[in-house]
Amino acid sequence: MGSWGFIGLAYGVASVALIGYLLFLKGRLRGAREEFAALEREGGRRTR
Amino acid sequence: MAPLSLAARLHGGVAVLLLAVGIFWGLKVVPPDAFQGDVQRIMYLHVPSVSTAYLAIIVTFCASILYLWKRDLRFDAVALSSAEIGVVYLGITLATGSIWGKPTWGVWWTWDARLTVTAIVFTMYVGYLMLRAFAEEPQAGARYGAVLAILGLPAMILNHFAVQWWRTLHQPSSLLRPGGPSVAPVMLWPLVFNIVAMLVAYSYFLLERVRLERIRHRTAEVRLKRGRRG
Amino acid sequence: MVAELLRRTWAMTWKDVTVELRARERVNAMLFFAALVLFIFNFALGPDREKLREVAPGLLWLAFLFTGMLGLGRSFQAERENECFEELLLTPGDRESIYYGKLAGNVLFMVIAEAMILPLFAILHNLDIWGLLPSLGIVAFLGTLGFSAVGTLLAAMTAHLRAREVMLPLLLFPLTVPVILASVRATDAILNGGGLGEVGHWLKLLVGFDVIFLVVSPLVFEFVLEE
Repeated sequence: MGSWGFIGLAYGVASVALIGYLLFLKGRLRGAREEFAALEREGGRRTR
Repeated sequence: MAPLSLAARLHGGVAVLLLAVGIFWGLKVVPPDAFQGDVQRIMYLHVPSVSTAYLAIIVTFCASILYLWKRDLRFDAVALSSAEIGVVYLGITLATGSIWGKPTWGVWWTWDARLTVTAIVFTMYVGYLMLRAFAEEPQAGARYGAVLAILGLPAMILNHFAVQWWRTLHQPSSLLRPGGPSVAPVMLWPLVFNIVAMLVAYSYFLLERVRLERIRHRTAEVRLKRGRRG
Repeated sequence: MVAELLRRTWAMTWKDVTVELRARERVNAMLFFAALVLFIFNFALGPDREKLREVAPGLLWLAFLFTGMLGLGRSFQAERENECFEELLLTPGDRESIYYGKLAGNVLFMVIAEAMILPLFAILHNLDIWGLLPSLGIVAFLGTLGFSAVGTLLAAMTAHLRAREVMLPLLLFPLTVPVILASVRATDAILNGGGLGEVGHWLKLLVGFDVIFLVVSPLVFEFVLEE
């Protein structure tokens, strides 16, 4: 594997990690917001 | 419950832009290293990752102390978020360090001092995340995590000395050597730029992750008030 | 004030010692396990005398540490099983004496185990260590102290946790790598004829580690025992 192969591997792994984490984070945020919204609707009360 | 605000989008956009410029600079513009050739360009990824990871750990440490002192859950949110992001960056550091090592030293892993310490610290903070996940309840998890994070920083420093005395294969620290950086100026600036770019990315991740944690806090609060079991 | 702290610490340690004297569970388990470790590693590494001699200090400390882990894992077991944690908190006085008391007990049990492991180790590897006992003893004590200082705190923390048998080692070992490294290197130098002088910087690391964690651990211990 030539130099640029290793470089590609390194940048590839890092990109997968960072983009993957970003998507994971966005997914959890979406889920948490939906859960909270559902909870608020159920109770019909504002929390604050 | 603000939807994804303009500020957050801008923040993320700036991070992506800075990273793109930094990558381009490091991969295309800078000439290859005299000794290591092109492979040395991995440095523009590896060093910013380790800097960001260590900053994340320091943030977790400070936030943990603040949490135990003030008992404000927002500090705990920062501590947990920074630790999680830190683990991601530690993983990237280890992976890129290993990948850099293969063409440079011929092996995927050497017990090189700094990589070894990174591996130990990685285990520490994976342990932190597990500790918090396995705690009997979130408040206990916050307390235990804070204690562990407080122990973690002196442990990390002592680890650095211990492992350094045990092995010294790694290049001596180019940036922090007394007498100034010994990296060539044409390489120093893209390196610093990439570090800054990575730190901006970290700050974006941190804010988003803290936002997530705060939503979870509020959800738990509402449930508590209604007397329902979460 | 200090006398009060010492008295409460002693009370805690004495309680653990008497419980152990009656059941003798802990030390027995530790000794048996240590013997197992020593024998198994000898089998695993083969009969080559030279190779064994090289790794001997590491083997010794493996035996010490795994045995210590076993003891630490049990140090809050009684409190957890009998749900005495709340009682511990009700006892008047600061949390620090609980920590010191538990720490003293843990160090004591670990040292007793080490004192019995060491002769077995010397026999298995044909080492004449009589003259080296003072130096080895100092290193073993400093290492045990550091390991237990962090271990006692983490044992209290993991007592309530799911998967605690895994969590304690997972959390403890990364934190105590400096102790492990320093102890093994110092023991290695001593076994190979160097005096304590040769291992100056490892001893400094051990002492530094011990001091730092003997100060920090009791300070944060109260946060572990809350509610």
